[in-house]
Amino acid sequence: MPLTPPQLEALRALLDRLIPADEFPGALAAGTDQFILQLLIHACAAEAPAIAQSLTHLDAEASERHDQPFAALPTAAQDALISDLEQNRTATPWPATFPAAAFINRLIDLAAEGFYADPANGGNCDGASWRMIGYDPLLPARPSAP
Amino acid sequence: MSAADSTYDVIIVGAGLGGGIAAGVLAEAGQRVLLLERGRDLRYRDIPGDHLRHHRLSLYGDNTTHEPAGHPRVFVDPQGHSRTVFPHEADYHNNALTVGGGARIWGMQAWRFHPDDFRMSSRYGTPAGSSLADWPIAYSDLAPFYERAEHEVGVAGDHTTTDYAPRDRAFPLPPVPATPTGAWLARGAAKLGWNAFTPPLAVNTTPYLGRAACVQCRQCIGFACPTDARNGSHNTLLPRALASGRCTLITRAHVARVLTDASGRAHGVEYFAPTTPDSAQTERRIAHATTIILAGGAIETARLLLLSASPQHPRGLGNHSDHVGRHLQGHYYPVVSGLLPVGFQNPNLGPGVSIATTQFNHGNPGIIGGAMLANDFVKLPIIFWRSHLPPELPRWGSANKKAMRELYLRGIDLRGPVQEIPSPDSRVTLDPHVRDHFGLPVTRLSGTTHPETLRTAEFIRARAEDWLRAAGAERVWSSPMDLRLSASQHQAGTARLAADPRDGVTDPFGRVHGHDNLWITDGSLHVTNGGFNPALTIMALAFRAAAKIAATT
Ligand SMILES: Cc1cc2nc3c(=O)[nH]c(=O)nc-3n(C[C@H](O)[C@H](O)[C@H](O)COP(=O)(O)OP(=O)(O)OC[C@H]3O[C@@H](n4cnc5c(N)ncnc54)[C@H](O)[C@@H]3O)c2cc1C
Ligand code: SF4
Repeated sequence: MPLTPPQLEALRALLDRLIPADEFPGALAAGTDQFILQLLIHACAAEAPAIAQSLTHLDAEASERHDQPFAALPTAAQDALISDLEQNRTATPWPATFPAAAFINRLIDLAAEGFYADPANGGNCDGASWRMIGYDPLLPARPSAP
Repeated sequence: MSAADSTYDVIIVGAGLGGGIAAGVLAEAGQRVLLLERGRDLRYRDIPGDHLRHHRLSLYGDNTTHEPAGHPRVFVDPQGHSRTVFPHEADYHNNALTVGGGARIWGMQAWRFHPDDFRMSSRYGTPAGSSLADWPIAYSDLAPFYERAEHEVGVAGDHTTTDYAPRDRAFPLPPVPATPTGAWLARGAAKLGWNAFTPPLAVNTTPYLGRAACVQCRQCIGFACPTDARNGSHNTLLPRALASGRCTLITRAHVARVLTDASGRAHGVEYFAPTTPDSAQTERRIAHATTIILAGGAIETARLLLLSASPQHPRGLGNHSDHVGRHLQGHYYPVVSGLLPVGFQNPNLGPGVSIATTQFNHGNPGIIGGAMLANDFVKLPIIFWRSHLPPELPRWGSANKKAMRELYLRGIDLRGPVQEIPSPDSRVTLDPHVRDHFGLPVTRLSGTTHPETLRTAEFIRARAEDWLRAAGAERVWSSPMDLRLSASQHQAGTARLAADPRDGVTDPFGRVHGHDNLWITDGSLHVTNGGFNPALTIMALAFRAAAKIAATT
């Protein structure tokens, strides 16, 4: 497991704002958190420590502003904090090697990759995002290619 | 006979697009062919439909490369910083490493070059610092072989409207079906007074040569085809070669060098292959032949010529005049995105490319060359999210999610392969430090295209914007391009054809100057790369070289 329980909680809360549920399922219902955890264990293992550390910074940032971890904030405060991170507007120190904006942009990418990729990648369970936008690969049930 | 002391009439290095063509022609002409391919012979089910790991978006890997870690390259950026790169990274400039090569997963656009693409320097002069040159052959020399490729591999098109280059025969397959977006773009082109027509694609629009028709799925470019309707040499000329009983295909066979004698004659190759077909263990082998053909793609063929240096040829084979590996080029691709008018949804059926114009391939005032422009393939949702949402839109949150559902089927984009103005400094060399799995120096890629390429690309980008606006796109946007090395999927130029050995690497048929029985049949031969996708020209040159070899050996 690349993340501690508080880091995982911050990640899930963040994903819930990056791709929120509306009339259609959001990132959490589609399993995008699991997709990201799998990447951090396998393909992106080298990135995992920096991302884990940044999730801790995210909570520190939330606590500095609101005395609460990110997951406990009201959604409006969460969204405002995400917008600030995109601009590197931070109240606590973030590492120069992986600044707040780099972290949040990476998470935005990872969330979309999981949510909009094929269900087999694990972040788009049941093709939830594809149904929402009107995409179906239309592959024949039995491929005739050798 | 053990493989270690085997002797053939012909050895072909690489069972990609060009190598497969040569294998078919030569085996049917009675020659005993050994075809060595470093990749595997992948079935449909072996090429995953992974939207994050395929040949248009290879974020964490791709769907054809095996053993990626053992075969890095070194990329040198325009600032001179070098770093080691792996096949799925953009700076690796990959094509698919599998039987069939790039054509296993290609977009199938099957264009003949324009007659003036063969005489760029005569038409435009040679800009200072560039290596823009004429081909030593004319369009008319290649026309019969374009026709063979169209018929024997299978190209769908409309000969009545595809008339920028003269042709003697209709296409063997009817054009891809018209689409509402194609009709909408055609009206835009008509308003501007431009030509616009259905582009030629190497796809079975009806059953052809024993294989089924395309079912218009939405997972086309970058993936394997579920009905095997995507045509290449892997499902046409290669099976013909194997059916002749005279072609031996060995996969996971990685050629390390061409062996030459003191006179420069190539007598064999050294290669590494698994001890048994499924073994992880490899052994070093030698095979001999009367004729050797290199078809490893423009980057690997150049590397192999350099790796094959000998005391008589210390700078590599065919490299007496220092052209091997130089003039590396591909295509700059300006991309212009827009939105279809509200209420107009793209039916999004594969392959997706349905309309093109050749209005700007040549004759653009103050500009060298130009490009064909076409609409794009069916776009995967994640590719749309990454590259085709309006730029001012938030990248996250409910606004982004809402835009995905409202705009996905309204997205439209145009793009075109800009004819590059080659630079001798854009090149393949051997890296002095990094070695591959077998201990061989890896490819080092350095330099950039010539700045004139950028001017042509910016001109074409503006025309693509004009087209979308004239068609009535709700809005149109694109970004400027910068100077960089260009090769990747359309890599070409590293062993250019030349009548005079001082001007290039091979003779006008593809025989390496100074090495009578060493030939090349891949994208390396292209002197310039046309303002069109290159593969039909690669195939035509391979048909022509193989016919010449068959007639003379
Ligand atoms: C996603 C994608 C879409 C494309 N769409 C189009 C399109 O629409 N139209 C178009 O014209 N072109 C398209 N292309 C490009 C086209 O596929 C290439 O131009 C074409 O395949 C190049 O042919 P080639 O014979 O030069 O090399 P390749 O087809 O790349 O074949 C080279 C082969 O040699 C093998 N090899 C290399 N080195 C060695 C070695 N040392 N020993 C043994 N084997 C070796 C490789 O594994 C490979 O199989 C596309 C490419 C991609 C990746
Ligand atoms: S769109 Fe047609 S050619 Fe492309 S993969 Fe699907 S069935 Fe094959």
